[in-house]
Amino acid sequence: MAAFVQLVILGLLEGGVYVAVGVGFGLVWGVLNVVNLAHGALVIVGGYITWQLFTAFGVDPFLTLPVDAVALFALGYALQRGVINRIIRAPLLFTFLLTFGINLVIVNILLLIFGSDFRSVTPTFSGQGLELGSVVIPYVRLTTLGAAILLSAGLALILNKTRIGLAIHATAADRDAAQLVGIDLRHAYAITFGLGAACAGVAGGLIAMNQAITPTAGEPYTLQAFVVVILGGLGRVSATVVGGLAFGLVEAFGQSIPGSGSVFANAIAFGLMVLVLVTRPQGLMGRLH
Amino acid sequence: MGVTAMRKWAVIAVAAVVAIACGGSTSGGQTTGSTIVLGAPLGLTGSLTKESILTQQGYNLWQDWINARGGIVVNNVKHPVTIKYYDDTSNANQSAVLMQKLITEDKANFLLGPYGSAATATDAAIAEQNEIPMVEANGAAQSIFNQGYKYTFGVLSPANKYLQGVIDMAANLSPKPTTIAMLSADDNFSLEVAEGVNTYAASKGLTVIVYKKYKNGNTNLSSEVQAAKGADILLNSGHLQEAIAINKAAKEQRINAKIFAYSVGPSTPDFITALGKDADYVYGGSQWTPQVKYTPAFYLSVSEYVAAYKAKYPGLGDPDYHVAESTAACLALQRAIEKAGSLDPKKVRDALAALDVTVFFGQVKFDSRGINIYKPMVVEQIQNGAHHTVFPDTVADAKPQYPTPAWDQR
Repeated sequence: MAAFVQLVILGLLEGGVYVAVGVGFGLVWGVLNVVNLAHGALVIVGGYITWQLFTAFGVDPFLTLPVDAVALFALGYALQRGVINRIIRAPLLFTFLLTFGINLVIVNILLLIFGSDFRSVTPTFSGQGLELGSVVIPYVRLTTLGAAILLSAGLALILNKTRIGLAIHATAADRDAAQLVGIDLRHAYAITFGLGAACAGVAGGLIAMNQAITPTAGEPYTLQAFVVVILGGLGRVSATVVGGLAFGLVEAFGQSIPGSGSVFANAIAFGLMVLVLVTRPQGLMGRLH
Repeated sequence: MGVTAMRKWAVIAVAAVVAIACGGSTSGGQTTGSTIVLGAPLGLTGSLTKESILTQQGYNLWQDWINARGGIVVNNVKHPVTIKYYDDTSNANQSAVLMQKLITEDKANFLLGPYGSAATATDAAIAEQNEIPMVEANGAAQSIFNQGYKYTFGVLSPANKYLQGVIDMAANLSPKPTTIAMLSADDNFSLEVAEGVNTYAASKGLTVIVYKKYKNGNTNLSSEVQAAKGADILLNSGHLQEAIAINKAAKEQRINAKIFAYSVGPSTPDFITALGKDADYVYGGSQWTPQVKYTPAFYLSVSEYVAAYKAKYPGLGDPDYHVAESTAACLALQRAIEKAGSLDPKKVRDALAALDVTVFFGQVKFDSRGINIYKPMVVEQIQNGAHHTVFPDTVADAKPQYPTPAWDQR
């Protein structure tokens, strides 16, 4: 029983990372209709900012998260305004090509700056945990989950309660009508992409605390974000949260099948994705427009 | 042709004459022959960048040394060496394409291996088709050598031996550990390491109670580590990134094994910088350490080698075994070319097959399949943030710190 509880806890905690990675990806996909293949690379940029601040100045890694968000927001805004916006109405394949190219550029710039060494943020409280009998809840992972939920709540708040959030919603619902009522589309798009990148940056900071990063470590996160968003459903932040936690749980249980290990974890996760697409194409929590 | 252009040509001509004259005068009676071209595709970008650069450093160290001596001596003629590199972007298929390009377009005389078992396997097929010897130092999977290839030679110990040293060491410790949890990535090399443990452990009175495979490159390994709870020895067969993830998870989940040993990872400086104090007490299997004591027949001694590395690559610390084994591959090729007294690929292949020489890296000798089963693996332990060789006793510079204290008592 304790082993089962431990597994559920570990799955949910790992889900926190997937939530953080997924929310930004889902936002950009839902509003801009861009499947951002550079999302994983942006995540890693955030990871390196946290690592740099931690190693050079000894800043508590959780305090670096706002820095990640602001820096990545600026980067994301500039990327959208300067580059991606040029093909925003082009077929999906072009956005694939462009974001894949951006991914390569970011990865190689990181390789030039930081080299290919593995970096990890290991503060003194790393590895400490709350022990309840034989069940352990690691603090870093618990705080990661908390930060991911806060991030999602903050994003939902911006989207639902602020003028720019409503503008983003309007743009997602009907681009031309939004333009008719005076919304600056380029600005709204760039803000959206910036918010998505900011979420990626925070996710990167969290990931740097939980494992080692290299410039090339981002690719799996793009894929995971994709699955998480499909599982939860496009168009709502809360849906991505559910998708991320579900993905974490599925992975934890997939890995613990006796005699297999995570060899089948991916097969199970993607099998579930296909199942969701077939039976509930709008996702577990999504709404069809 | 204008006057300036004429003057420029004159300068170049004079420079060329001077260069040839100087080159001739330093050869000390021996003449300088054609340049030997060696080809090596490496993952200079992509996921294997780190290890590929270490490999390149090992090759370059030897290249500098041999060219400082004028080159490889073949029948009293010195042949300088150039190593031609291409970036295979850490992609095994691309590596094979580039290997073929090195042979057909760059006219490489001989081949040096890429990094990793996957790329080495695809490149070995190219070497075989073209009947050009490839000496490699970074592909330890025995599956490469079970194909009946005649032109691929690996100077390193094969995969199944990677963690056997740890088992041997554990069998002699007191109180003796009895149970093993074996975690493994699902790539060929890692699985061979794990199977090596599974078949070998019983002969030393140890039982493998958990054997879990995970997807290569996976960094969420909490569930696997949880399954290892209760075992005396936690072994991982994977790569640096997974080793770091497992060590972090073990601390978070209070997994208190008496021995933590990982096939790849602990020997690299990154492991210590990434984990800090949590890296202490971790064991690793290693092809070579800067502390080993071998008496070399030629080239540098172990301490001279370490010094040469630090002089060429300051600030990187001691060379790790990827660097050393890569240099050893060059040494094996050099010695075989000298013995063959020819640049003919077939003759050099035969000389490689018959080679038996000890260098700073240890004994280099190939079995009938082309892999070096004669050199032992050593066991390293990280003690107070530094690498120490703890097994076998003949080359050790420290005693194993055993058992590993519980996480809350460090």
